[in-house]
Amino acid sequence: MVLDVAESIRTRRSTRSYDSTKRLPREVFEALEQAVLNSPSGSNAQESHFVIVQEPDQIRRVKRFAQGVSGNPAAVAVLCSNRVEALSKGGADTAETLRFVNLGIAAAYILLTAQSLGVSSCPARSFHAKAIQQLLGLPEEVVPELMITLGYADQPPRPKTSKPSREVLSYDRYGKESI
Amino acid sequence: MTDTARNRSEEERHERLLDFVGYVLTAARALGKEPASYGPMRLVDTLTKAVELLEDAGIRDESVKGPLAVIRENRWQATSDPEAFGEALDEAIRRLVEVTLEDARRKEQAEK
Ligand SMILES: Cc1cc2nc3c(=O)[nH]c(=O)nc-3n(C[C@H](O)[C@H](O)[C@H](O)COP(=O)(O)O)c2cc1C
Repeated sequence: MVLDVAESIRTRRSTRSYDSTKRLPREVFEALEQAVLNSPSGSNAQESHFVIVQEPDQIRRVKRFAQGVSGNPAAVAVLCSNRVEALSKGGADTAETLRFVNLGIAAAYILLTAQSLGVSSCPARSFHAKAIQQLLGLPEEVVPELMITLGYADQPPRPKTSKPSREVLSYDRYGKESI
Repeated sequence: MTDTARNRSEEERHERLLDFVGYVLTAARALGKEPASYGPMRLVDTLTKAVELLEDAGIRDESVKGPLAVIRENRWQATSDPEAFGEALDEAIRRLVEVTLEDARRKEQAEK
């Protein structure tokens, strides 16, 4: 069963405990590849690079230097940004700011693609970038900025704590609460 | 135990020790820039992982199970509700005080 986008958004929660015996089928990797390749980027600079780690020993090595990663995921997507390419293809704004916006959008694509296929996930920023760079053999200018763990959850996610909508959302001007 | 099984478990212990050291070092490195509420969470995770490692090495003590259970139940609140997590830590500490006092009573009686 494949969930549509709205349902994927509604049901996605960060997962920190996975069934370590379940691997991801090939279709999931193919769908993630499509998510990454179809993600937009400012000036179409495409300065991001993605390493999908799925070999169990390599996942363990990555986890060792990623204190924010919990559970035993079946794969870890490492989202990286190339500052040099960002500058050459997108200019200073992309190098300073847009490359993170681009990476954030790609992250959302990955999270929702996974959710739509029944695969749970959790973003993680708490890791040692230099160590991960060395482990993955990344070039100096390709820096890991975010990870996304992926796998099949083995317990229900924790409840969501959302701010009241009026604190997050306005219509037409700041503070106007409804349409 | 066969030689290969023994080697494998020694290798696994080595890996687990490295996992632990990696966790503590990367956590320590990041704490200066991370939210204040991450500090207690990382310390508690360090404690849990250390106790697991000791158990692997054959050092098992039932008396720490109670305090650790309270933390395990409430760990997820460390960042979303630091106050509730603080109360869970208080409860874990209270249980450890009970263990400590019980130990003291036993020692006193043995010395009589
Ligand atoms: C940029 C970013 C970095 C995050 N880093 C971590 C992390 O290192 N470890 C972790 O367990 N969760 C991490 N999270 C997950 C958030 O804690 C989670 O998204 C938030 O609590 C909301 O919960 P939900 O994702 O279930 O809606 C991160 C989320 C984002 C967007």
